[in-house]
Amino acid sequence: MGVFKLKKGYDIPLQGSADRRVEKALKASAVAVQPIDFRGLRPGMRVEEGDSVKRGSILFVDKQRPEILFRAPAAGTVRRIVRGERRAIQRVIIDVSEDKAEEFPSFNRGQIADMSVEDARTLLLNSGLWPTLRQRPFCKIADPDKSPKSIFISAVDSAPLQAETDMLLEGRENDFQLGLDLISKFSSGPTHLSVSAKTEAFFSKFEGVELHQFSGPHPAGNIGVQIHHIDRILAGDIVWYISPRHVAQIGNFLARGVYPNSKTYALTGSEIIKPYYVKGLEGALISDLVDINIARNKQRLISGNILTGRQTAGDGYVGFYDDMITLIPELSGRRFLGWLQPGFNANSFWRLFFSKLTPGKKLAPTTDINGEERAFVSTGEYEKVVPMDVLPVHLCKAILVEDIELMEQLGIYETSPEDLALCTYICPSKIEFGDIIEQGIIAMEKEG
Amino acid sequence: MKFLERFLSSMDTKISEGPFKIFHPMFGAINNMLFTPGHATSSGPHIRDSIDMKRFMGIVIFALIPSILVGSYNVGLQAGVEGLFAAFMFGFLKLLPIIVVTYAVGLGWEMIFGHINGHDIHEGFLVTGILLPLTLPPTIPLWQVAIAVSFGTVIGKEVFGGTGMNLLNPALTARAFLFFTYPGNISGDSVWAAVDGYSGATPLAAVAASTVPAVEALNANGFTLDTMFFGFTAGSIGETSTIAILIGAAILLFTGVGSWRIMLATTIGAYGMALICQYFGTDVASGMRTLPAHYHLVMGGFMFGAVFMATDPVSAAGTDAGKWVYGILIGVMVILIRVFNPAYPEGMMLAILFGNVFSPLIDHFVVQANIKRRLNHGK
Repeated sequence: MGVFKLKKGYDIPLQGSADRRVEKALKASAVAVQPIDFRGLRPGMRVEEGDSVKRGSILFVDKQRPEILFRAPAAGTVRRIVRGERRAIQRVIIDVSEDKAEEFPSFNRGQIADMSVEDARTLLLNSGLWPTLRQRPFCKIADPDKSPKSIFISAVDSAPLQAETDMLLEGRENDFQLGLDLISKFSSGPTHLSVSAKTEAFFSKFEGVELHQFSGPHPAGNIGVQIHHIDRILAGDIVWYISPRHVAQIGNFLARGVYPNSKTYALTGSEIIKPYYVKGLEGALISDLVDINIARNKQRLISGNILTGRQTAGDGYVGFYDDMITLIPELSGRRFLGWLQPGFNANSFWRLFFSKLTPGKKLAPTTDINGEERAFVSTGEYEKVVPMDVLPVHLCKAILVEDIELMEQLGIYETSPEDLALCTYICPSKIEFGDIIEQGIIAMEKEG
Repeated sequence: MKFLERFLSSMDTKISEGPFKIFHPMFGAINNMLFTPGHATSSGPHIRDSIDMKRFMGIVIFALIPSILVGSYNVGLQAGVEGLFAAFMFGFLKLLPIIVVTYAVGLGWEMIFGHINGHDIHEGFLVTGILLPLTLPPTIPLWQVAIAVSFGTVIGKEVFGGTGMNLLNPALTARAFLFFTYPGNISGDSVWAAVDGYSGATPLAAVAASTVPAVEALNANGFTLDTMFFGFTAGSIGETSTIAILIGAAILLFTGVGSWRIMLATTIGAYGMALICQYFGTDVASGMRTLPAHYHLVMGGFMFGAVFMATDPVSAAGTDAGKWVYGILIGVMVILIRVFNPAYPEGMMLAILFGNVFSPLIDHFVVQANIKRRLNHGK
């Protein structure tokens, strides 16, 4: 067991973490599968508007690799196929009706153990749960034709207000073990499971994994950071990663032979009264989960966490990889002499505000950028929130000048936008590190 | 306040087109200084740190206040003005016109370049505009200040692409310009006291010219470690008081705005080099080599440079390891110049500019080391 005590990083003190209490969703009226959740995916539709589907029916496939299927998380009628710019399909919305499900064979641990890698691959591809496996570099759906050097699972919750992993998996130990048995077949290398002091009790009992313990502030829970410390990605390497919840989902599918569509979400953020967990459907309509009348321009609803989530609305749907919904106040206008204020309630990494005198105080920041874009200032603070041997400013400059070779040398393969999200957060020059890294990843992918 | 906000936004639309367009960079800067820009995030991270460049630079100016206060008082003191307040006011009224000219000329250039490049005036000049006056003697002719600021802003910064792109510290570029163009007005014995017919050497000059051991030479001129530490000696306005600079340093270090690595490395470099010079200086009877190492730290522009100039995040080395090398390089250079260059006893300005020139190279090696570690990892 590797023990990694990370010092660098920062936990933003935020109001609105969820209590450990699970409620049922208000209703189950609609779900959606959203191709935009999957980096670089071009969907090939298998249904049309008005078709009725069962839970587990194929909705669309990956055009480039048609063996990757996307199945319906609930039975009902395809109400709309929403298209965006250049007719790109953004989401497929299903009005949920009586639960009819496609049936699949079920398996136990013994059967999985005897299964060949080839059969395991076919089984997972057919289940519609293959997209739960993602790869680094490039943070996209794992390529079934490749074999990763190792597989990573992070059960370390470090992101702001993050849903607690053991809460999402309570009572699903058998599912988790079965899922683990299947996915660990895909790599000849080890399957790494990282835990924190909090999640260790739950996760230390599983077989077939290499256990690691991570401690430290965010982004210690990020898969990219853990990969960096356990088994770095160099040019040509591929590793796969999957969230613990998805491992349990795969296990559940294997055990029961139906597409598992139940999912627990954390409802968090300073604008949610008494934040809690809610059990609903995968890809649920957000207003099915929680009764929120979001005042537009007053509140911002985010699918995912505050650093990396996607802005959505009450009539939006939870993202495929997201375990949480965050609701925070929207920017409320210009502030007089904002830069001169003492800042008793100012959220900041820097010791430039009086709020630093009350470090335990949880804050409720708005979506205000709090400034304008300026040139890079290399104060050495960025490095303090990146617990990796990566030079964030130099990497970004290499990307901005489109120097492919230098990007590679400076670790673009090891980095993802989420790993540098805190650089963007603390930046006095308001530089979008995440966007720049994304630009770099796209450039590297094009280069092949 | 709502009224003012509405007024500014209506002005904004008027000024962004038409004959007053050239003033838009200035207007935009004032507008966003009075009210936060009020832009919301469009994607993640959905919240952002409360810090912005205005507050960042504002802290530097705040940290300079002790040096401004003590420096002003000392200008009065050196001119023979009696009474604490009277001396301060005398000095402050010498300093104020220099600051006003610096800002007026500098912001004028910033406005022109902002207009050309299509952006508002950036905050960097607010600091440069205070730093430069504090490195000048109180008797400096204002027209020379105007030329120096023009040189520092245009050649030192804007030709590289503006704030954040410059290689050299603009304030020091301006000062170096004055030093080489009009040496008579910025060095020698007669420029430090702001009254006619009164002359006095700076402590460094006194040591450089001495024929007796350094400490004796200092004492003979009325300089003790105390007077130099508190700053009641001849010298540039802001550089003399070590204690005032250290208060500013404490503010920069506490807030993290100034790099502790650079400040510490510069001090270590200078002290170490001074110890070496002192060790090998036992065979001489007079001059810099007989000066005890710790004296160097309170004399001349060393502390002001180490705290406020070397730490300029744009012209300094950007990597953590690079900052150590950069700081030590500056520290070593300043002592070498002081001890071995008889023509010019003060070395801080040139040492920092030297460090600025080398900082991209230093960073280059640190980046190469990072690349090498990544490559070696696979083996």
